[in-house]
Amino acid sequence: MGQRDIISYETSVRRKSGIRTAAKMCRLDVESAVKGHEQHVNIIPSSRYMVGRGVKRKLSECEDPTLDLPYPQQRQMVLDLCLNKLQSCQRRAEPSLHRSVLLANTLRQIQREMRQEGVLHSLESPPPAPSLPQALAAQRQSPEVAPTPSDRPDTPVATFSPSPLCEDDNAVSGCIGLHKRPWSEDDGKSPDLLLGSFEITNSTSYLTDLQLDDIFEDIDTSMYDPSDFSVLACPSPRVNSGSSLGSDDNLKAFSSSSALQVCLNDLDHIMEILVRS
Amino acid sequence: MAGAGGGSNDVQWCFSQVKGAIDDDVAEADIISTVEFNHSGELLATGDKGGRVVIFQQEIENKSQPQCRSEYNVYSTFQSHEPEFDYLKSLEIEEKINKIRWLPQKNAAQFLLSTNDKTIKLWKISERDKRPEGYNLKEEDGRYIDPNTVTALRVPVFRPMDLMVEASPRRVFANAHTYHINSISINSDHETYLSADDLRINLWHQEITDRSFNIVDIKPANMEELTEVITAAEFHPHQCNTFVYSSSKGTIRLCDMRESALCDKYSKLFEEPEDPSNRSFFSEIISSISDVKFSHNGRYMMTRDYLSVKIWDLNMENRPVETYQVHEYLRSKLCSLYENDCIFDKFECCWNGNDSVVMTGSYNNFFRMFDRGQRRDMTLEASRESSKPRQVLKPRKVCAGGKRKKDEISVDSLDFNKKILHTAWHPQDNIIAVATTNNLYIFQDKVN
Repeated sequence: MGQRDIISYETSVRRKSGIRTAAKMCRLDVESAVKGHEQHVNIIPSSRYMVGRGVKRKLSECEDPTLDLPYPQQRQMVLDLCLNKLQSCQRRAEPSLHRSVLLANTLRQIQREMRQEGVLHSLESPPPAPSLPQALAAQRQSPEVAPTPSDRPDTPVATFSPSPLCEDDNAVSGCIGLHKRPWSEDDGKSPDLLLGSFEITNSTSYLTDLQLDDIFEDIDTSMYDPSDFSVLACPSPRVNSGSSLGSDDNLKAFSSSSALQVCLNDLDHIMEILVRS
Repeated sequence: MAGAGGGSNDVQWCFSQVKGAIDDDVAEADIISTVEFNHSGELLATGDKGGRVVIFQQEIENKSQPQCRSEYNVYSTFQSHEPEFDYLKSLEIEEKINKIRWLPQKNAAQFLLSTNDKTIKLWKISERDKRPEGYNLKEEDGRYIDPNTVTALRVPVFRPMDLMVEASPRRVFANAHTYHINSISINSDHETYLSADDLRINLWHQEITDRSFNIVDIKPANMEELTEVITAAEFHPHQCNTFVYSSSKGTIRLCDMRESALCDKYSKLFEEPEDPSNRSFFSEIISSISDVKFSHNGRYMMTRDYLSVKIWDLNMENRPVETYQVHEYLRSKLCSLYENDCIFDKFECCWNGNDSVVMTGSYNNFFRMFDRGQRRDMTLEASRESSKPRQVLKPRKVCAGGKRKKDEISVDSLDFNKKILHTAWHPQDNIIAVATTNNLYIFQDKVN
């Protein structure tokens, strides 16, 4: 009662004698009639009572299993969680800036720590071009974060990247076997670009700044036809958004797998949205 | 626990009323998102996720009975905000009511401000118990009588009618916030109020809807450099030039509007140095302040972060004068709480009428009270099982580890879906309103 079908309703009538005629509209008006509430409830000792209830949701994984893990594994787990949350954050209808900032700060802190420890490999990641993916991200309904890097090449996370170009470039740039975990600048960029996308969605000047035709002329949609496609790319963090699809020879280096099909579908989806807009 | 009337007698809290549907199937629109007493305590307003405001009025149940208790009954219900769609950004604007603040009463009508993420509205709630009857040229239903048939002159008179409570929107303050509004606060000058979103705070005049002054702006030139957001803001209860705002990094800034038009430079910065022994990946997240409230006397302010409540003396910036642990047993569970997103829950807090006790919510439908004078704390539960009329609430205890005693609840049995985020304390009496997910519980102190 009193759900979403309440339309604009501005008055309620209340009789002085206490009988409420508009009670139906007031979903908070239901007094819990606890008259004659089963007396035996009070007799059950509380320890049994809690167990018998059955509706309580136990804290997941009981005691924090992470506390048992060595510190680097703990950190890794938190990092993965962080990235997952940042991604899902952006996919929501209402991205919360507060939450994104907290996640981004946690991510940065972990990365800084890892960098200091020299854990990160300095791969030849070309200098990122932040403005372009930002702008393209803004074109879409919900700007999205760089895909989660995975150190297990057989289970890449199917994610979006801020631009199809970047996706293609990732397709071009790497072979599965190559991938360690190319963090460094890329992941450092993902929280920044995430926050940047909050900005861009509020401004409209990007439309005049871009040469949209230049971007799109590089896209060869034929390669996204699944039937023709025999090779797939493992999505990796967006490396360089600026470069074009370029080297065809890299395409041949791919191997397909069913898990990567999901990435292709994502790519499809991205293309659809772009072409539509 | 000393109540509003002072004295050293312990207050025993009793169940008084519960509002809302009984069934466990909670409709999302019914989730309560804010609770607020008005300045006299006679009215209690709640806002929900569906954009509705329900106001309860206190009525003395039965004056003749010695144990007369006051009950809150529905006074008015109205749809304050509707869901909107921002076409430019392709984003839905939720109709959820984030905050309600009552204006001090100036005449027979009541006024309140309610806000969702983007728009603030001023609502007038007025009573009508008379209506004009006997128009000369109109029928009772409003149709005009044929003038040729009118032979006499009569003047309408006011006759009593059944009481009707009307809510009408008087002002709509829109389009001033790019980010989500988290706070509104009415100034003691009774003319202005502030609204705060993640990055900016605006000052409004209650009468003027097409203009607002920006008084705080922490948006960096490059959004990629953003590391801190505003989480709550409030005006000082007596000094109309002073307000505070809290941040996601656990700091509170006090600003004086006399200093400059744009209060980007704070007058005071309240920050407690971090305890290095408690450092973890989640240190920053749990330090984010979810609520800030001045004491009624204006000398202190209280902040709520994920695990604790801190009381600050406005004259001392480097550390709080009191710190109360709300649920310290959760500190070892932070990773799981981070995983299930509970770590981002925003708990509110409130003072009692004479600033001697503070209250805040927790999980498992528990809420906590801290008596500042007697240095005592209590954990109570808002549950259907303790809902017999005038039933005294039994204090609860959570067993952090080791052997669980009888009547204690172990941390692993806590229900993290049952959270109490919003609580309110009557400005004078020991009456509290505690909101669970979709129910509103009202507790009072035990009479005699």
